Amino acid sequence: MENLVYIALFAPFVSSLFALMFVMVPKQTFVGIVASMLLFISFLASSILAYHIVMTNEVIYVRMMDWIVVGNLSIPFGFVADHVSVTMMVVVSLVSTVVHIYSIGYMDHDRSFNRFFSYLSAFVFSMMVLVMSDNFAGLFIGWEGVGVCSWLLIGFWYHKKDVTRDINPSISPSWAANEAFIMNRIADLGMLVGIFIIFWNTGSLQYDVVFPKLSEIAVISPEILITAAIALFIGAMGKSAQFPLHTWLTDAMEGPTPVSALIHAATMVTAGVFLVIRANPLFGMEEVAGVSYFIASLGTFVAFFAASMALVNRDLKRIIAFSTLSQLGYMFAAAGLGAYWIALFHLAAHAFFKALLFLGAGNVMHAMHDELDIFKMGGLRKKMRWTWGYMGLASLALAGIWPLAGFYSKDAIIESAFNEGNLILWAMLVITAGMTAFYSFRQVFLTFHGDERYKEFGIHPHEMYKYVLIGMSPLAILAVVAGWGKDWFEGFVTNLLPAYKMSEHTHHLVTTLTIIVSVFAVSGILIAAFKYIRGLKRSEKMENSFIYRLLANQYYIPQLYAEMISKPYAELSNIFWKSIDMKIVDATVDAIANIVYKSGDGSRKMQSGNLSNYLAWMTFGAVALLIAALISSVLG
Amino acid sequence: MDNILSVLIFFPAIAGLLGFVIDKNSIRAYGISVTVIEFVLSLVLWASFDGTSAAMQFVELVPIVPDFGISYYVAVDGISLFLVIMTTLMTLIGIISMSVKSEIKNMVITLLFLEMTMIGVFVTLDVIVFYLFWELSLVPMLYIIGAWGGPLRVYAAIKFFLYTFTGSLIMLVGILFLAFTYHDAMGGYDNVGVWSFALTDWYQLKLDVDVQLWLFAAFFIGFAIKVPMFPFHTWLPYAHGQAPTIGSVILAAVLLKMGTYGFVRFSLPLFPDASVMMIVPIAVIAIIMIIYTAMVAYAQEDIKQVIAYSSVSHMGIIMLGAFAMNTQGISGSIFQMLAHGIVSGALFMLVGMLYDRRHTKLMSEFGGLALVMPRYAMIFGIMLMASVGLPLTMGFVGEFLVLIGFYNVSPILTILAGTSIIVGAVYMLSLFKKTFFGELTNEKNKNLLDLDARETFSLVPLVLIVIWLGVYPTPILKPIDVSVASMLELMEAKATKPKTKEFIASMRSDNKEEN
Repeated sequence: MENLVYIALFAPFVSSLFALMFVMVPKQTFVGIVASMLLFISFLASSILAYHIVMTNEVIYVRMMDWIVVGNLSIPFGFVADHVSVTMMVVVSLVSTVVHIYSIGYMDHDRSFNRFFSYLSAFVFSMMVLVMSDNFAGLFIGWEGVGVCSWLLIGFWYHKKDVTRDINPSISPSWAANEAFIMNRIADLGMLVGIFIIFWNTGSLQYDVVFPKLSEIAVISPEILITAAIALFIGAMGKSAQFPLHTWLTDAMEGPTPVSALIHAATMVTAGVFLVIRANPLFGMEEVAGVSYFIASLGTFVAFFAASMALVNRDLKRIIAFSTLSQLGYMFAAAGLGAYWIALFHLAAHAFFKALLFLGAGNVMHAMHDELDIFKMGGLRKKMRWTWGYMGLASLALAGIWPLAGFYSKDAIIESAFNEGNLILWAMLVITAGMTAFYSFRQVFLTFHGDERYKEFGIHPHEMYKYVLIGMSPLAILAVVAGWGKDWFEGFVTNLLPAYKMSEHTHHLVTTLTIIVSVFAVSGILIAAFKYIRGLKRSEKMENSFIYRLLANQYYIPQLYAEMISKPYAELSNIFWKSIDMKIVDATVDAIANIVYKSGDGSRKMQSGNLSNYLAWMTFGAVALLIAALISSVLG
Repeated sequence: MDNILSVLIFFPAIAGLLGFVIDKNSIRAYGISVTVIEFVLSLVLWASFDGTSAAMQFVELVPIVPDFGISYYVAVDGISLFLVIMTTLMTLIGIISMSVKSEIKNMVITLLFLEMTMIGVFVTLDVIVFYLFWELSLVPMLYIIGAWGGPLRVYAAIKFFLYTFTGSLIMLVGILFLAFTYHDAMGGYDNVGVWSFALTDWYQLKLDVDVQLWLFAAFFIGFAIKVPMFPFHTWLPYAHGQAPTIGSVILAAVLLKMGTYGFVRFSLPLFPDASVMMIVPIAVIAIIMIIYTAMVAYAQEDIKQVIAYSSVSHMGIIMLGAFAMNTQGISGSIFQMLAHGIVSGALFMLVGMLYDRRHTKLMSEFGGLALVMPRYAMIFGIMLMASVGLPLTMGFVGEFLVLIGFYNVSPILTILAGTSIIVGAVYMLSLFKKTFFGELTNEKNKNLLDLDARETFSLVPLVLIVIWLGVYPTPILKPIDVSVASMLELMEAKATKPKTKEFIASMRSDNKEEN
């Protein structure tokens, strides 16, 4: 079994190195094929491990070697395959395999084909390190690793130049990449601080050492736990793009679409949720209930907030990105309410249908020659039957329509909000479910139904390659069936995660609650159908209204950050350099040097060669010395 | 084997003297051969070093002026060993990658002399001889900047020389005062006193807190200018701005480390009470260095100046760790000295290679270079990531240890210092974007050549080291850890104030409890 852990972990690494060997040569299709095969091997190994754990309930630990050992700080490269990590491993490796296969087709014409696979596999490796590590430092390695891969992949088309926000809200791929990296780094500082607190209070960073000790600390000082929980959650907010660190995620759509599907929808952005689930012994404590409640509230807020921006957006990928943001909010709501297994369940289900949705969007982009504006599409159903089916299916799942995956996972979250007696959270989550259904189908209808607006732009859309479409099918199947195993999944992961049971009261109302949510979801779809299924009718009045403009401009938050943070930072930097460093600090140094030089130069005139002059100076000096001696003897 | 340190110190110098009779055309090969031998010797030193012992090893002691206790006294421990190896490595790589054309013979000879002084500084335990090497190291660098530098080279060279020299003179006063104190403590008033300039003898000296504070200040000036600490850092951008690539590489990689090494070797164990009292002021300066210079780096227009200011910012992390008073912090600080040496050395080499091609270092002249120079961009990217402290590169290990160590001293100050991971990413990524990303618009850049064989050969080893020691730092961390633990023990033992004793003891016991 140990070998399987290593195979699951290192197959993507080998794949990345393999592709790296060909990074300087033109496209080689076999690079993509070999990479996909290695990823598939990783998936197989993960699945066998999962099967083993399901059967035996045995957790597998492997310890590769020491990493950093100083004083009593001892960090190994250690990995664990338990119920949570193995779930993540299967999800990550499965989605990655599909995305790798998809990319062979999607990146077909890109001259950096080989480089792409190297980065993509490196990402999967980092993600595996993140989910498999048995300690916080190892998690941080993966955490930063996925950050760098995300930076490389968002900026993959680095040659595009910066444009203004009006033309492209992301400015340029390289700009978006830097934004993502820096914003994540802000959160990472929080994460690091959390790690420091844990280390100095428990003497270790190993999960299995740290978690049992938490109750001891709670007795001495609960503040420590609260601070640690806050710090770790700040880290989670960055990776999972929670408000106010959310702007990078939509800008990250500058990356190639397979990247958006894998990194910015299915896997990396869920790392924050994973962290909260992984550290559930901390977040689930009585003492940190306040922090957890905050997590749930922030999650709910983000779910609503992101969905509101998706309502009016015209960019195919950005709409999906907002929906990802919104669904991450749902996951945090569940985790914050203590329903960790539900959060993990939604994480997995979401990974499948969201990846499918993005890959479908990739097909559309491919067909539309990288056009992303859904106002310029319409009627594509006729040319792209498969993609239409896939995206429709994924949207139904996302909207939470029975019997697809999203129905089971999202409904459980909404139920748990009700179960906690928090009707405000519950109501917001229900309304958001309605909004989700609306914007998902607004997108589907505007893209695939109604008048064929693309004709005006002289585009001749075509369906994606067959093998790519077939490659996407596992995700489609899972988007349908993943919800059916809910009870089994609960039984499996609650071996490790705390059980979360609905109260009697909720249990009785479960049918009513489900109907309420479903009514909202179906109404959302119907409204979208009513408005958009026959074509696009734009209303000048609405598009110029304040609320529409507010939402379309993302509440002006990116502009606010630019004005309030980026610009002042640049200006202050300039002041520091030109006014302080040059004019004050350095000028002082030069002034001192000048005084010495000038006084030397000035006193040179004493050397006049005139004997009587010298005598006068000598007398002066002698008198001065006498006076100095006198003063010091009086004083001393 | 007994004299390996002497060989290490004087072999380059003797080889440098012989270099005068070598033909100009073969001088580079000669220089490379000498530095390869020197590097291999330093590896032999490492191989025969006992990493489990904190004792000074390979000790050589030859009295020079017995009446005043001045002797030729050299040795290494875990703290200095790797600085020596880094010095020999960076000199070797520097000479391989060197692109200087004019007066190449003088350059090689100067570098060999410089190598002698640098190794001398790190291994000498007699304070007078240490001081000699310390000052001597200025001369070759003065010459390198002054003779091969840019248009402002004379100003920059003289500024560098006078500034650091002034600081050193104040340190010399401190050294002499300390020697007299030692002499007095050893019965000097009865005229039978013993003189000694051996650092290990001085370590045994217990000093009053007032005396410690004054002496700390004297040594501080000497070291702080060298590091350079804010606000004594302004010579650095000029020196880097004017120095030829090889000068910047050695300056950033090795010469700056002399200052931080001085703090660890002298200030901490000699003045434990003063050091503990100065933790907060030093930390505040370190934080200013980290944030302020990172912002100044962000404002730069010239690639080399960004790297130059980033050096100051990174030296802030090193200073912070040195004053963490626990093994994590100080070991991290020493590790970071090595990491910064390799990474900044490589970055300066990279900038130099670009300068060789285009004779400009202004970011506005570039953009989109990743397209024409992919290999160059890749290595630059790896070094950038090491510079911003990505895990599994060398830069992370040091920075992480420093921050985790200092967290036990002050969480708030650590959080402020931790912004280095943010501000560092800001200037580095913005540099990378401006230089390598975007459209390739400038006609002059369209036909730039990627790295040639010699350049690749000099960079790849550094890349490998950066990753190797990021993944598996133990071979280096272990000996450092042992020596640092023993130094802290010494500090606790000789501290005068009970409070200091208590503080260091608590720092040490936090580390023992769990074992």
